[in-house]
Amino acid sequence: MEIGLKMDHLSVEYFGKCIHDIVSISDAILDGWVMKIKNDSENGKYIVKKQTTLLKAPEDASEVPVTFEYHVAYNISYGVPVLCFNIWQPDGSLLTLEGYWKSNMAFGDSNMYETLTQMDHPVLCKPFLSLHPCKTQEILQTFLATSKNPVISWLTVVGPFVSLNLLEEYVKHC
Amino acid sequence: MTTLSYVQLSSSINPSFWNKLSELKLDVFKLNEDGKDIWGYFPITVLIVSSTNCATPFLEVDSTSFNSEVNGQLTYLKFHGKLYNKNTLEQFKECNKMELINGVGQSITEQIISGKALCDPSILNTFLLLSFADLKKYHYYYWFGFPVPKGLVIEKIASSPIIEEFSLELAEKIHNGYKQLAINQRCYFLVIKGKSGLEVYTLAEKLKDINLEDIPEVYFVFHNISSVSSSIGSQLRNYVTLLLHECKFLANEQVNFIAFHLSREKSRITCLDSICYKLKLPAVADSTLTSEWVGWEKNERGKMGPKLANLKNSLDPLIISENAVDLNLKLMKWNLVPSIDLDKLKNTKCLLLGSGTLGCSVARTLLGWGVRNITFVDNSAVSYSNPVRQSLYTYQDSVEMKPKADAAAENIRKIFPGVNSIGYQMTIPMPGHTVGDSMVNQTKETVEKLIQLIESHDVIFLLMDSRESRWLPTLLANAQQKVVLNAALGFDSYLVMRHGIYVENATEQSMEHPEGYRVIDGANLGCYFCNDVTAPCNSMKNRTLDQQCTVTRPGVSQIAGSLAVELAVSLIQHKDGVHAPAFYTTSQNVSSQDLSDINPSNLGLVPHSIRGFLSSFEQFLPATQKYKNCVACSDMIIQEYKEKGMEFLLEVFNSSKHLEDVALLTEMLKETDFGEVLEFSDEDFCSQSSQ
Repeated sequence: MEIGLKMDHLSVEYFGKCIHDIVSISDAILDGWVMKIKNDSENGKYIVKKQTTLLKAPEDASEVPVTFEYHVAYNISYGVPVLCFNIWQPDGSLLTLEGYWKSNMAFGDSNMYETLTQMDHPVLCKPFLSLHPCKTQEILQTFLATSKNPVISWLTVVGPFVSLNLLEEYVKHC
Repeated sequence: MTTLSYVQLSSSINPSFWNKLSELKLDVFKLNEDGKDIWGYFPITVLIVSSTNCATPFLEVDSTSFNSEVNGQLTYLKFHGKLYNKNTLEQFKECNKMELINGVGQSITEQIISGKALCDPSILNTFLLLSFADLKKYHYYYWFGFPVPKGLVIEKIASSPIIEEFSLELAEKIHNGYKQLAINQRCYFLVIKGKSGLEVYTLAEKLKDINLEDIPEVYFVFHNISSVSSSIGSQLRNYVTLLLHECKFLANEQVNFIAFHLSREKSRITCLDSICYKLKLPAVADSTLTSEWVGWEKNERGKMGPKLANLKNSLDPLIISENAVDLNLKLMKWNLVPSIDLDKLKNTKCLLLGSGTLGCSVARTLLGWGVRNITFVDNSAVSYSNPVRQSLYTYQDSVEMKPKADAAAENIRKIFPGVNSIGYQMTIPMPGHTVGDSMVNQTKETVEKLIQLIESHDVIFLLMDSRESRWLPTLLANAQQKVVLNAALGFDSYLVMRHGIYVENATEQSMEHPEGYRVIDGANLGCYFCNDVTAPCNSMKNRTLDQQCTVTRPGVSQIAGSLAVELAVSLIQHKDGVHAPAFYTTSQNVSSQDLSDINPSNLGLVPHSIRGFLSSFEQFLPATQKYKNCVACSDMIIQEYKEKGMEFLLEVFNSSKHLEDVALLTEMLKETDFGEVLEFSDEDFCSQSSQ
């Protein structure tokens, strides 16, 4: 009870521990999450995973293999984890926000700019696509007191919108 | 008995690869076309999740492909690559592709013969990349090849799942043995089911000791790159080439292979999806085996040919910055102002008359709004006192005494290269500033240029430091029905206003307005000169230094400049555009909320003018009617200009009294005692209208 109450946000240290655990779980099942560390930066730790997926081309019914590179990093100013990603085609050209929007059925009729956005990676400071971060704190809040790994819990909620499905193995740890 | 069919890798390029290639081409390779060693990565994870994802096996290259040491991640098999980057598109097209792939194949053969491949079997996994980088357009032409010997034919005798040949326990032993191997030994290794039990060996450890009679107990393992376990990656042919070289007795024999395949069952990784093959190896000599190599990748049309990657949107920093600027503005569409028309702003052409503190502040705020066309006009050069207040200049500009308009246009492009900016150095002719005979032609040219500039822009900003320099552009903009945004500064006060749009013989329109409000339609709003009953004259005469220069609190110009832009933006976004009516109130008890029904503008109120006072940190929004005897926007003045043109203007420049005559002010002044009215100051007006 005490522990749950005193934590109203995810600290950068706790985030670091959570993603460290994600990488350990991933290593055991060869899931591909890799720890990246940028020294001399308070929030320099983030994890990366690549995944190749077929995406429907907006023009016709054909499917294009695209590579997603997911980054889970920590945003200091908001005190929340951030899921950002880039998507590229086999020739290396990046999908635009609009291009991805058209081919992602998971978004349904929602407003593109309310759901998906482009923002700077909190560590790399380069533009990435991202799910709109506004709701992160709200979603996270529900797990902070109960989950052993709030980052995993949060990822299982938001990941599926952008084709990132965490295996059961991760869910066991939270 | 069937011939084996193979799966070929497909290339997958990380954008960072092109980025790095561009960098190296510029700084390191330059014109050198020699083959460069690069790394490719085959992600094992793709195989593991293949059931739900993409079935094509991909070989990835990224920025680390150029490192001398391979990125030693457990989840990748490394591939040895050769990059041939050509200097021209012609060389890329015309170079002999057959020779190229044979050359790379030949080097595989050499490494097999020298024994190098035996020690490091990952050498059998080789690719080549032929490319041409058009660095100006960010176009990359490329063609991957995965060389395998053409003449090598392997027959499939039989195949079965690994668990039919090995117990679960032994299969697990193979997997454990695999995990003990160094990463570069994992792609090809040996499993020997000896009398003493099953053992896993590297090729170098055991291959040379194997005899013909051992064959039934030996399994030649290869890490299969095909995600469908029933098909085989084409690199098997290179493996067989090595095996035939080291163990010549294998020719024509039936040999055991294991297509090694990792898969995940819940939280456990196993090799139980691996397949055992019995294959009959060919009987051919080394030289015929390896003289011809194949394996060029097909392009997206399924043809043997190169691909083109257009990376302009991902790599050109100019495009990236433009997109980022636009996207930042689009965020307004989320919740705040979903109906805002950003393209309208982007396409608005703004003319900034005066490039001092106000001009710089206006330009930077316009930039923030995504405006892409900004023209600067000024007559002076950057002086030492300017840079600290005028946000587009630097100390160096004052050292070089650069003309302000040019320096502003140039520096704003440094801030954002996507902006289309240009500067004109010219002095705007003013009433009462006599034009001597020698200057007549130049004055005429300047007026012509100003007319042309106003014509080619949509919004005219008056940001000069004197009152009389605003007269000519006010008149010209009126005559062309262009909207004018005017900002003027006092020591600790400012005025920002929009001029009414000139409509010939405009009649007052009655408009609905809520209780406590009054309204003036766009055609009947006054200009800067409407509140005056004298013509602007030479204000530089009889002035002390502090009166001649604008001595102001430094923040005033930033505030006024920003307000001028925000007012312009609100106006452009209003459904009536520049004709938007101005609502104003004389009561403080009325809230602006009441206006939202009657004045549907997505950014709120569009006042006529904004007057602010830093001494009390107050701001008022008065609106004034057009004055029928105005020296700049009245029908009489506009008609006179339209009829007499330059002749009229020259007369005004020589004597501002002429303006008062034309506007019939002279007559009025004679009739009435205007002594009191002339004392009527801005402050009095504002305090009246706000109470």
